[in-house]
Amino acid sequence: MTEATNVIPLRPPTERRQQRSLLGDAVRRFARNRLAMIGFFILVFLFFLAIFADVIAPYPVDRADFNAVRVLPFTNSAYPLGTDNVGRDYLTRLIYGARTSMLVGLLVPLIGFSVGVTLGALAGYLGGTMDFIVQRLIEVFTAVPPLLIALFMLSVTGSGVGNIIFVLSVTAWIESARLTRAQFLTIREKEFVTSARALGATDARMILTHMLPNIITPLLVSFTFAVPAAIFAEAGLSFLGLGITEPTASWGKMVGSSIGNTIRVYYHLALFPTILVALTMLGFSFVGDGLQEALDPTRSR
Amino acid sequence: MGCPPNCGLASGKPLHKITRFEHEPISAISTNALLSPFPSVLYFMINFLLRRLLALLFVLLIVSVLVFFLMNAVPGGPFSLGERGYTPDALANLERKYGLDKPVWERYLNFLRGAVVLDFGDSFAVAGNPPVTAVIARVWPITLHVGLYTIIVSFGLGFIFGLVAAYYRNGWIDNVVTLIATAGTAVPNFIIATWLLLIFGYQIGWGQPSKWIIPPILGTGNAILSWDYFLPVITYALLPLGLVARYTRASVSDALNADYVRTARAKGLSERSIMFRHVLRNAMIPIITVVLPQIPNLLTGSLFIEVVYGINGLGKFFVTSITNKDYPMIMGLVLLIAFFWSITYLVTDILYALIDPRIRVGGRSRA
Amino acid sequence: MMSSRRARAFAALLIGAVLLAAVVPLFAQDNVDVYGRPLPDDSAPYADQVWTQLCDSTRTESSLSSVVSVYTRICGDAQVFDRFGDSLVDLDENLNLIPAAAESWSVSEDGLTWTFNLRPGQVWSDGTPLTMNDYVASYRFMVDPVNAYDFVWMWQGTIAGWSEAVAGEIPPEEIGMVAVDDLTLEVTTDGPAPYLPGTLYFWPPLQAAALAEFGPDYLLDPATAVSSGPFILTEFVPGDRVIIEANPTYNGYRKPFLREMRGIYGDQLNGSFLAFQNYDIDQVSYVHLSPADFEIVAADPVLSANYRPNFGDFRTDYLLFDTFTAPFDDVNVRLAFAKALDREAIVANVVGEQFAIPAYSFLAPGFPASDTDGSLQSIQGFDCPAAQQLLADAGYADGAGFPAQELKLRGESESRANWFVAAAASISDCLNVDITVNNQEFSAYMEGLLARPTTTQFGAVSYGMDYLDPSNMLGVWVSTGRHSWRNAEFDTLVEEANNFTGDPMERLEMYKAAERILVEDVGGIFLLHRIQGNLFQPYIAGECFRPDNQGVGALHWGNDWCWGSFYITADVANYPTYRSR
Repeated sequence: MTEATNVIPLRPPTERRQQRSLLGDAVRRFARNRLAMIGFFILVFLFFLAIFADVIAPYPVDRADFNAVRVLPFTNSAYPLGTDNVGRDYLTRLIYGARTSMLVGLLVPLIGFSVGVTLGALAGYLGGTMDFIVQRLIEVFTAVPPLLIALFMLSVTGSGVGNIIFVLSVTAWIESARLTRAQFLTIREKEFVTSARALGATDARMILTHMLPNIITPLLVSFTFAVPAAIFAEAGLSFLGLGITEPTASWGKMVGSSIGNTIRVYYHLALFPTILVALTMLGFSFVGDGLQEALDPTRSR
Repeated sequence: MGCPPNCGLASGKPLHKITRFEHEPISAISTNALLSPFPSVLYFMINFLLRRLLALLFVLLIVSVLVFFLMNAVPGGPFSLGERGYTPDALANLERKYGLDKPVWERYLNFLRGAVVLDFGDSFAVAGNPPVTAVIARVWPITLHVGLYTIIVSFGLGFIFGLVAAYYRNGWIDNVVTLIATAGTAVPNFIIATWLLLIFGYQIGWGQPSKWIIPPILGTGNAILSWDYFLPVITYALLPLGLVARYTRASVSDALNADYVRTARAKGLSERSIMFRHVLRNAMIPIITVVLPQIPNLLTGSLFIEVVYGINGLGKFFVTSITNKDYPMIMGLVLLIAFFWSITYLVTDILYALIDPRIRVGGRSRA
Repeated sequence: MMSSRRARAFAALLIGAVLLAAVVPLFAQDNVDVYGRPLPDDSAPYADQVWTQLCDSTRTESSLSSVVSVYTRICGDAQVFDRFGDSLVDLDENLNLIPAAAESWSVSEDGLTWTFNLRPGQVWSDGTPLTMNDYVASYRFMVDPVNAYDFVWMWQGTIAGWSEAVAGEIPPEEIGMVAVDDLTLEVTTDGPAPYLPGTLYFWPPLQAAALAEFGPDYLLDPATAVSSGPFILTEFVPGDRVIIEANPTYNGYRKPFLREMRGIYGDQLNGSFLAFQNYDIDQVSYVHLSPADFEIVAADPVLSANYRPNFGDFRTDYLLFDTFTAPFDDVNVRLAFAKALDREAIVANVVGEQFAIPAYSFLAPGFPASDTDGSLQSIQGFDCPAAQQLLADAGYADGAGFPAQELKLRGESESRANWFVAAAASISDCLNVDITVNNQEFSAYMEGLLARPTTTQFGAVSYGMDYLDPSNMLGVWVSTGRHSWRNAEFDTLVEEANNFTGDPMERLEMYKAAERILVEDVGGIFLLHRIQGNLFQPYIAGECFRPDNQGVGALHWGNDWCWGSFYITADVANYPTYRSR
């Protein structure tokens, strides 16, 4: 007697379906986004430059060749990207500049956002006295001129990358705090918040897992602006004699020293650092857009 | 409606937050107040504004203390020590002239006494030592003028760009807008200015009658429109334009993808109706948060723009008064800024409440 | 009797002659200045005799007269200040003293009393005569402690009673400056001061009456701004423009051909050359020319012909130390640093040979008592092996253990900061020490430098003369000066020479010996002597450019009379200048 052979075999009960986590989904979606991956690789490249500057750069950062001052790019094989006003190789300066600028451009917004988002979330979510305190803090820090703070800090602790980062961070937290607060004010009335709370979610869990992911869009955009803003704020301080000391290189400073007629002939002094800063910003933009799309499951592609 | 205060008890776990909110600030709206007739809302508004005014004064006081002591702690002073320095006598004379021979707290009290009647003293750094308020009154109008045009150009264009980019998201329009916005914010304005000046030629003497397009209304003062305005406004507007465009694009596309939009479309509402009544309203919050503060920024000017284009405005004083250690001017400007920004934040909060009625500022969550 | 036709013809001729007589003088007057003098043959019409400069809109400013303030002059880097009077003395192109408002002066036997005679007939624009009372009032204003004048150090130790008056011990009326009568001034000095007339180049006076009635700010308002000088104030808007025009009542030594001078506020630092190229201003100083700008100038034959270099105020840029603390208390360390500096390469490449010459001592060539035979060159001259040896001898072989240094700069512009960055790179390259460069703000730097103990361990600065005498330049190095360096022998020599009334050559030898000590004891490392210069538009001409003893034709430092000789040539019609817009 033959048995029916068109019985569909059941999956063995011991074999479990692979867990698909939210994060895994997000990563996959990100990887499929071409622009986001371009941005990602841009950032990886820049980080690589920053971290391995000592190994990659052809010359030491302060090596000045007085016989090769203001060499134009692509004309001299010893100095492929030309030299600056003191005879230092520009390629080297750009590579080391990546280190300084990435440090400043990343750390300042990161510190700013950590503090800002925390304060903004607390203010927006808790309201009342906390909101009052944070709002007043925001107003006070907006009014005190950052230049004055910079002058004071630098007279007390001297100049140097760490001090610059501290000085710039003092005002960097304000925007993210206000953004977060505004978003929280909106979101805390939404239905999913009410339901989460009804289910007994604690404040922390509420903020971190439910509300933050929903307000991430404007925060990401703000971050992508904050990076070049920090780089150029550092350059601005340098002009007033408060920034990074030579021979440390930074893209912002390199751009700024090429004002005037210098640009006509020695275009490389301004062009290359500007390209790199723009690249940084584009990288963060694309990555930010990609993250935005990846983390939001309702978004249509 | 909202959960009554003991709603969390149903789950067996008390909501510890409840006890904290038992003593709510008076300014928080209660549901009752909203349902009550008109005078209660008016009472709330007046109360709210009064509280904010008090808070403003509080902030001004704190800022004045902080900045006064900070600026005196910074090395250097309002007078140059010249090439050869001074004998102790000469130095004492100089310090006496600028009032620096008195202890800091005494000078602060003198300042405070004047500040309450809006007398910030005489500027150290402007020729003739005019009162700080007179200097600000003289130079601010031109900065306001330039700032106003910059706002119109950057906000107007930026908003349009952002909307268009959000609507045609991921299309070629979107990419072009992103590129422009990126360029506007990644390329510093002094590079842009340098190139503009090299192209158009650097002319000194800003605001000459020969360049007027629309002369001044009252016969004196600055022209309503002049060829001189074009370059500074373009240079100045690029950054906020990029900012506004990007934020608009992000918020609007966020809102466009929300469920309620799909619902509205399914219901058959026109695109225009969807845009204006649903999408924009929800997108406005982050836009207002970021974009509105650009206004005081732009209206108080930029050192760089004013120096490069030779505009005799207020913007340069924000930096030069600090580098020149013009103490009275620093205090006057800082308090002006504090006032301006506090008002801006206040307006922002009011706008939040207007746009999204679910938001109540100053109170706790209704949920 | 004439026929009617003839009568009509005669009438027409008469009318024509009358009209011609009326009109021709109008044409002829086109090239006459406000004093009725004819302008030079090749000059443009009087309407075009305007001079425009750029002012810096970011500085502290207080007055159009140096009597009120020197460091906060309105439009300080341009030429519109101090035009409302004449100093007692002036300088010619060889930096010799020449009469200005004073027509002569003499000194007493003991060298303690000087008598200055004012040229008669000079007036203020309100009709009152210019007298020595105005000069005395101005100097009393400068010394009065109430006014806290910022250039008050100039006469301390020179004019009798000056220091005491500054300290408030005696009233300003009792200093050694007395108007014996309207035209005679008597100046008494503490000790013999052969250089005193040079110091009276400073400044054109304020009017005693206006000073008493309105205070020093009378000069800021055209309504009260009286002038006894070649120009008078027409308009002043702070931060916008300064306009002065030729003073028709002027009766002094430098009547101007120029009708008007203007200072327009703008981006002086970065935009001067651009404005110049656009024919918006008439002159650019070397200070506002970047190396790239200068390459454009050098490549253009017209521009380079109109760039007029000169020694200016003999400004020397140098590095300084805190010699009271380690590691720079050891003269070998200082000497090592000095010999590690490759001045020639830096000047040739980074600075540009048109902007400087390498310096091995403090006094620049051409300055009295400067090192004319080059004997000081080898002391601090570049010699890297010797420098390394010196450092090793001091205990820091190959830079090991040498503390990292921070070279502080005094608010230098971008281009100039690069000079010192190069200097730091040169030293650190040779000696293997760590040097960072910190471009501080001007007043913060000076405060740190002058503090005792100083906070500037290693810094860079420049100095240029105030008057042409070594007592001024070398005087900045005495132990009561701004440097943290002390040398008793140097002090004695300079002090002696300052008061020496004997053979001038012997006096100069004393200063030379003093400078040798300065160089050998490495009070400072001298980097370069600046070659200053001004770029003029091609249509500017004047006696100002007549060659000096060295054959150099330029706007020399302190040559106030030049501003009477400048004029715009007719060539200006060929350029699209602001005059025709």
